[in-house]
Amino acid sequence: MAFTRRLLLLGAAALPATARSQGQPADHAHDAAAPAPAPAAPPAEAPRQRGSAPPDAYVYIGWPQDRQVIYGTRFKVWFGTRNFGVAPAGVTKANTGHHHLLVDVDLPDLNKPIPNDRNHLHFGLGQTETMLELPPGTHTLQLLMGDADHVPQDPPVMSKRITITVRPGRPQAAARETQ
Amino acid sequence: MTRAQLLARLGAGLGAGLGTALLLAGPTALAQRHPMPETAKVYIIWPADGQVVRGGFWVRMGLSEGGIAPAGVEKPMTGHHHLLIDVDLPDLNKPIPNDRNHLHFGLGQTEARLDLPPGRHTLQMLLGDENHVPHDPPLMSKRITVTVLPAPGG
Ligand SMILES: [Cu+2]
Ligand SMILES: [Cu+2]
Repeated sequence: MAFTRRLLLLGAAALPATARSQGQPADHAHDAAAPAPAPAAPPAEAPRQRGSAPPDAYVYIGWPQDRQVIYGTRFKVWFGTRNFGVAPAGVTKANTGHHHLLVDVDLPDLNKPIPNDRNHLHFGLGQTETMLELPPGTHTLQLLMGDADHVPQDPPVMSKRITITVRPGRPQAAARETQ
Repeated sequence: MTRAQLLARLGAGLGAGLGTALLLAGPTALAQRHPMPETAKVYIIWPADGQVVRGGFWVRMGLSEGGIAPAGVEKPMTGHHHLLIDVDLPDLNKPIPNDRNHLHFGLGQTEARLDLPPGRHTLQMLLGDENHVPHDPPLMSKRITVTVLPAPGG
């Protein structure tokens, strides 16, 4: 029993980007790992049931702030989570999920697993911060929680979409900080 | 000293391999402690050490180079947060106590609302595994001091 569960979790770790349907046959056609899902491909089945989230659950980007100018192209992003818990991908538990950071992209289809590419970063280990490296310029960041299978909750738990400006130069103290 | 305490001390003094053997000999007496990435850190994002707050406040708990998992979920390189309030570190070879001085965030929470009586208080974070046992080496924050002033109008 415990051994089986460990294997499942290891499987999730080895394939962090792969949508896993617990208790259902794998559906490779709708694999979240596919970088560019075929456009306009009609789903073979009804949209999957989305997990619920408490109405007061919310996530926010604790750092950087909206309209912040960041010197240095490598900086830390803090994921704030309130009234909601963090769990790794593959873990089914009510009122928990894992973070996704949407970079320079609009919200994806909320009824499907969140795409996995350079604009949609998955934090399937349950990370609550990351070091981001972006080229100089203006960028947008938004957090979106996803469930065990990378599908957003209903209602979706997502942050405000913020805009930052990255400038070349010396990193600020807060951006460097790894304490 | 009870047998459990003795075994725990023995386990702490021996290598991980022998610890495993002891675990097999007495699974209830000694919890095997899990590793985390060497670079992992836990730290209190807010409040800062020495901060003065008025009334209730939110504590934001940070983890670098590791993941959060709810209690009961066994996954390598993850754990859940505990907040130690006005108390020293507990025995690191046992599950962290669960009382008003040792708060568990077993749902995988990363923030906590605290309402502490006015005065000086200490806060320290300690990560625990699926069984609430600290990792090896333990991942804990610096112990900070905050001063709570009475809430406005209270
Ligand atoms: Cu995901
Ligand atoms: Cu715990």
